[in-house]
Amino acid sequence: MSAADRERLFLENAAIAAAGTHAVSGAGELLAALRRVVATGSPVYCPGVTELEKAAAALFPVRAADYAAAAVTVEEVFGAVAETGTLVCSSEGGRAVQAGLLPSHHVAIVRRERIFETLDDLFAAVAGAPPTNLTLVTGPSRTADIELTLAIGVHGPERLDIIVA
Amino acid sequence: MPSCHGRGWDGVGTGRNPFLFDACIDGADMDIAEQDVQTTISVTDRAYAHDYDKVVLRGTSPQRDARDDIRKHPMGVQAAMQVLLFGTCLVDTFFPESGEATVRLLRRFGAEPVFPKGQTCCGQPAFNAGYEAAARVAAEHFLWEFDGDAPIVTPSGSCAAMVKHHYPWLFRDDPKRLAKAKRAGERIYELTQYLVHVAKAHEAGLRGKGTVTYHSSCHLTRSLGVREEPLMLLSSLQGATFVPMPDAARCCGFGGTFMAKLPEISCALADEKAASIEATGADTVTGCDSGCLMNIADAMRRRGTKIRVVHIAQLLAEGL
Amino acid sequence: MSHEQTSLAFRENSVRALEDSALRAAMKQAADTFGTKRADAFAPVPDLEALRDRASAIREEVLANLPMYVDRFAAAATRSGAVVHRANDAAAAREIIRKVLADRGARLIVKGKSMVSEEVDLNSHLEAAGMEVVETDLGEYIIQMEGETPSHIIVPAIHKNRQQVGRLFADRLGVPYSDDPQVLTKIARKALREKFLSADAGISGANFAAADTGSLVLFTNEGNGRMVTTVPPLHVAILSIEKMLPSLTDLPAFIRLLPRSATGQPITSYVSVVTGPRKAGDATGAKELHIVLLDNGRTEINAGESRDILKCIRCGACMNVCPVYRTVGGHAYGWTYPGPMGLILTTLLTGMAKSHPLVDASTVCGACVEVCPVRVPLVDLILELRRRKVREGFSDPKEKRGMALFGKAAAKPALFALGQRLAGGFWPLVRAFGGKDVAGRMPAPSRTPLRRRLP
Repeated sequence: MSAADRERLFLENAAIAAAGTHAVSGAGELLAALRRVVATGSPVYCPGVTELEKAAAALFPVRAADYAAAAVTVEEVFGAVAETGTLVCSSEGGRAVQAGLLPSHHVAIVRRERIFETLDDLFAAVAGAPPTNLTLVTGPSRTADIELTLAIGVHGPERLDIIVA
Repeated sequence: MPSCHGRGWDGVGTGRNPFLFDACIDGADMDIAEQDVQTTISVTDRAYAHDYDKVVLRGTSPQRDARDDIRKHPMGVQAAMQVLLFGTCLVDTFFPESGEATVRLLRRFGAEPVFPKGQTCCGQPAFNAGYEAAARVAAEHFLWEFDGDAPIVTPSGSCAAMVKHHYPWLFRDDPKRLAKAKRAGERIYELTQYLVHVAKAHEAGLRGKGTVTYHSSCHLTRSLGVREEPLMLLSSLQGATFVPMPDAARCCGFGGTFMAKLPEISCALADEKAASIEATGADTVTGCDSGCLMNIADAMRRRGTKIRVVHIAQLLAEGL
Repeated sequence: MSHEQTSLAFRENSVRALEDSALRAAMKQAADTFGTKRADAFAPVPDLEALRDRASAIREEVLANLPMYVDRFAAAATRSGAVVHRANDAAAAREIIRKVLADRGARLIVKGKSMVSEEVDLNSHLEAAGMEVVETDLGEYIIQMEGETPSHIIVPAIHKNRQQVGRLFADRLGVPYSDDPQVLTKIARKALREKFLSADAGISGANFAAADTGSLVLFTNEGNGRMVTTVPPLHVAILSIEKMLPSLTDLPAFIRLLPRSATGQPITSYVSVVTGPRKAGDATGAKELHIVLLDNGRTEINAGESRDILKCIRCGACMNVCPVYRTVGGHAYGWTYPGPMGLILTTLLTGMAKSHPLVDASTVCGACVEVCPVRVPLVDLILELRRRKVREGFSDPKEKRGMALFGKAAAKPALFALGQRLAGGFWPLVRAFGGKDVAGRMPAPSRTPLRRRLP
């Protein structure tokens, strides 16, 4: 499967799982996408560690000190899986995976070169030495515990936006 | 108009539709039965002496000699393929009309059905309830009565499945009977399997009337894998409309001894099944297993529904 | 609250359930929904049968070498920094967990859904020790509030309708009444968020455990599993030993099968892989991770004829299609696990003496076998338990006598024919004297059975 097909499949499947999806090239487009999805004035948590995170952080001059106080987390994640439209969040490198869990809105940036085609590809890459926490995230949190009626936004984020950069 | 009770000769047609406890078969069915009586001629045909010798050599009961009575077949005896008819204990005891209908169908399509008189039960009630030894006794007797190479035809999916799938396990420690069991499993056909794959009855332009729906019994479909054959036969009926049932594959709640052990749940499931049937608007519901049909008919009776419940053998035989 | 096993009263339980119209409506809706969802979810999956074969083979490989995989897991988990405990039975598991929590002064515990914790009756033991245990899975939260046990292993509150939940929340949480699931979910989110953030410890189960790396795998949708395993400083995980997989590379097959089988989703919102507690340089993870490996009879089951039930991955597909479960719900089975896999596992774990009516709670229709993602031979296992029930002397004496008679009649055609005549002749008597449950639902035997009509 070509990289372009992988990206297309990933975005399709992520959208089916009720994530907002955006594909961008370059810092300009990234910032434009962020402006679209993040409500101005909301307390944003952005680790500001990776290049893309640093670029994103420029948009948010006033940031939440930690994710527990934030309404939105904007961060770059480890990778993604096209087969299921899934984000891969890893605790490697001192990442706080719960930053994408506690706030009600999670904006995840993923590099297109980090999109795995299948779950097998992902686990082949990480199974040898898994990090303390590896979480596959597909869409916002949900439940159907009451009368099997789908309700989006339970304990985890109520809204997930994915930006492929 | 013949009465609804048995005739002098232990013959065909008490005129009782077993699935509507109070009704009688109408005159048309009795005409077919009359023909059968006329054509019952006791003839020993030389072409079958060979088989009779085999029967004598096995040393079976005196009742076996009744197999000397070979009916003259309209297509000529040489063309008729001998099949062994396993009626099943339910059909034999409660729904003999289905067994007779099976005989008529088999004859119409070139088979000469022989009914081993010593047959009893395939052993499924005991097997399903966990009584391995009793099941094995019944199975041994079945293998004895149905020995040989002729195909076995039975108007019951669950009984065919019992022979095919469970007999080898029952005789796992008995190599000789295990071989017989495997062979019996290869030879046995549920009726619609035979009618479609051997007799091509779905291409024969059988007649039908009214609106018919179909209940697919659990062992027939899941154990034996018979899903298409009954549908092919029913949709081939000229003059009848076939309407599929919602949730046709859902268990009707019979489950053999289940209906005795947990009758409340059994009735609840039968009621649900009856509701599905009623929702089709059909005037007739059919199926391949008498246990299911009996359970469904009971639900109909409790609900006061007047839909006819009939075994597929009878339904198809009426269209001959 | 401790819950006594009531499996011996299965028939009475089911009669009560049949009279509960709210329950019946809920179960009917569930059955209809699950049927469609599962079918829709698997429709686009290429070569489902090969996938099931692969998953079945992986599970069989684990069971064939279970002690080795358990040891391997324990060693790897220990290397990753977790403390591994082996609990031989329910009492041991309860006590190990109580002590771990008590030693650290834990008072408020948040809990993710774990069937095994229900099996060992963990909550009541911890509550008796003065701890507050808060179930965080929405379904479990609801039934904990009601003081009930789960009625389904995936959707524990499936027997409750929205009005019942609305009234419950209004009563217990003092919120305005609403029966809108979206609103009720937000109420639960808010109520539980404070518990997550102030809890001393989190208890979770695990859907799988990867032996190579000592990793725990959790499939969740709500996010509570992630909360419970990463937010409080202490994480205690309890799982039964048959949950092993050889390696994380075996996980994809189960990711493809379990969510689809359980809820009709292609994947759950979250699949968490936890390997050890927080290490130097980590910003994620509990500071301490304790893993309790529960046996509670599984080694013995694995050595016997019913070992294949241990292949079960707790997806719930079998109960979703079971005609009996669908009609009477999970509580009728009287213990932790309901439906086809449940009646088998309950009988094996709690013993025939406490469970024997359950083995009859099946029409052996085979619908479960059709949907089991790992090909557990459920019908064969049920029939095997029925044979055991007979051998061990738990069958009804009348039935035993009847079957002995059946055996005789089956091999003696003359006796069989006589039986037909007697039943036919005395049918009203048969019906009148106690056969009404059966005989009342059957037509009278024919006056001329088939064998007398054919030459």
